[in-house]
Amino acid sequence: MSKKYLLKLFVTGQTPRSTLAIENLRRICEEEFPNEYELIVIDILKRPQLAEDEKILATPTVIKELPPPIRRIIGDLSDKEKVLLGLDLVGQERRQK
Amino acid sequence: MKGKIKTSSARKGGLGKIPTGIAGFDEVLDGGVPKGRFMLVTGTTGAGKTVFLNEFLYRGITQLNENGVYVTFEENPKDIISNVRSFGWKYLSLIKKKKLAFVDAAPAEEMVLETGLQYDLSPLVKRIEYAIERVNAKRVVVDSIDALFSRFSNKDVVRAALYQISAKLKKSGVTALISAEKTEKEELSRYGVEEFVADGVIELGLAKGQQQFIRRIFVKKLRGMGYRSGIMEFEIEEDGLKVFPKIPVQRLLAKTDFQIRKTFGIEKLDELLDGGIPQGHVVMISGNTGIGKTILAMQFIIQGIKEGENAVFMAFEEPIDQVKKTALEHGWNFEQYEKQGKLAFIGTSLIDISNDKLLYKILTGVKRIGAKRVVIDSISTLMSATMNEEQTRQFLIQLCSIFKEQGITCLMNYLCGPSFGATRGQLLSNLATNEIRLSSIIDGIIMLLYVERGQSVKKMMNILKLRGSAHSKEIYRYEIEKGGIKVGGKYEE
Repeated sequence: MSKKYLLKLFVTGQTPRSTLAIENLRRICEEEFPNEYELIVIDILKRPQLAEDEKILATPTVIKELPPPIRRIIGDLSDKEKVLLGLDLVGQERRQK
Repeated sequence: MKGKIKTSSARKGGLGKIPTGIAGFDEVLDGGVPKGRFMLVTGTTGAGKTVFLNEFLYRGITQLNENGVYVTFEENPKDIISNVRSFGWKYLSLIKKKKLAFVDAAPAEEMVLETGLQYDLSPLVKRIEYAIERVNAKRVVVDSIDALFSRFSNKDVVRAALYQISAKLKKSGVTALISAEKTEKEELSRYGVEEFVADGVIELGLAKGQQQFIRRIFVKKLRGMGYRSGIMEFEIEEDGLKVFPKIPVQRLLAKTDFQIRKTFGIEKLDELLDGGIPQGHVVMISGNTGIGKTILAMQFIIQGIKEGENAVFMAFEEPIDQVKKTALEHGWNFEQYEKQGKLAFIGTSLIDISNDKLLYKILTGVKRIGAKRVVIDSISTLMSATMNEEQTRQFLIQLCSIFKEQGITCLMNYLCGPSFGATRGQLLSNLATNEIRLSSIIDGIIMLLYVERGQSVKKMMNILKLRGSAHSKEIYRYEIEKGGIKVGGKYEE
């Protein structure tokens, strides 16, 4: 079953920074839209062609593919407000509450 | 080992070089750019940085068997591919053959927002590495450093990435060029990283000429490598860049051979010249308009071709087609000789032409067909069009020294003399001061002059000077007939 929210997180290797970004994003998703999201984590060291296809320059990068519009943010994702703003998910959050 | 790539071996314990493949530029760099190094290409907007990068890549792939990677932060690959097509460079087929790969880092359609400053550019580094592996690249170009910096607010992250990229490239033995914008007032280091990253700096610029902009190129720094200093000119032509390197003045260590004489095939004239012009001489033919300087020079060429010596004709006075027509009227088929590769014409716009550019054109023409005789028609056009006296002098010194070194015999036409006939006893006063001043450089002067006597104007000639020869000192009559110049008897008042 496809989820309402589809997020792709690009990281480089299994570094503390990567782990932190994954944890941060997962936490935000769980808090805001539990059970409604799918999070795909891509390690560009293992999938360089995907980095090329998606024109990824920096990690961590999050691409929100669903719901439209597509949004990209970079950073360690520790600031929840900025992450939601950047991904254009602020409205979604309010509608839920 | 691949035998195709010719790199000059390390000089004096220095580094190896690889040719850029850009016409004329490798001479400036004394062989090419340092192999496996990182060079910065800087210049103002429109100076030609992107074309330079593209040509470095394209020549490498197509002529030197060095595959390439293009990292773009500005234009997207589609636009680049379409832009270079105007030079006849077909990137799509190179991509298909896995000789060229793009790292498309041009701005994506959607904005990228920074939610903090904690990020790094390791994907960029990885993608470059990946592209190099994919096509087994030996050359990389990055356009441009400014576009990369403008994309991220954390400049330290960009600097760190540049260091990483530079280190990776060096490790894999790839030679790279990275472009950087230069504004008028700015000094080189804008981001505080360029000097550390780059082993050399090539600067491109635009200068205002009399009627058009002149493109300039200048090697600012090249760690541990020899190169020609000074500002060179270049042009962007239909098939890429042409750099006109300064040609060092050689010692007048000549291959002049007084025993070998170059004849005109004009019986009497060759006799007056003590058998012809010595090989390696530069001789000026001076005289007024319509007196036959061009015809005489053409006969010199025809005679050369008859004797198996190829020739270059520099046509500044009139269009090449017109030169050919004139020749044909005398029965000389220049068109045919040109097709057979025995004769080459060089006609060029003289607007804002420089010594270096002209010399370069002459020398490449001479080299192409292995010419032994050269005609410049005329030096006076050069002087009146653009060069001042000093430039002309410099130009002639360089030209003469090169020709002498290569044993090439050269005639240059020079327009001078009174507009009408000389009066009794004034024959020699026709010489303009310029001619006298230049005469220390040139080896000989054949003077053609009009003499007005009674109701008619006669043509006379005199060998005013010919180094190392027991030439005639007399004044002779001559006529221009169909088939060329016929020298008659001595002129007597």
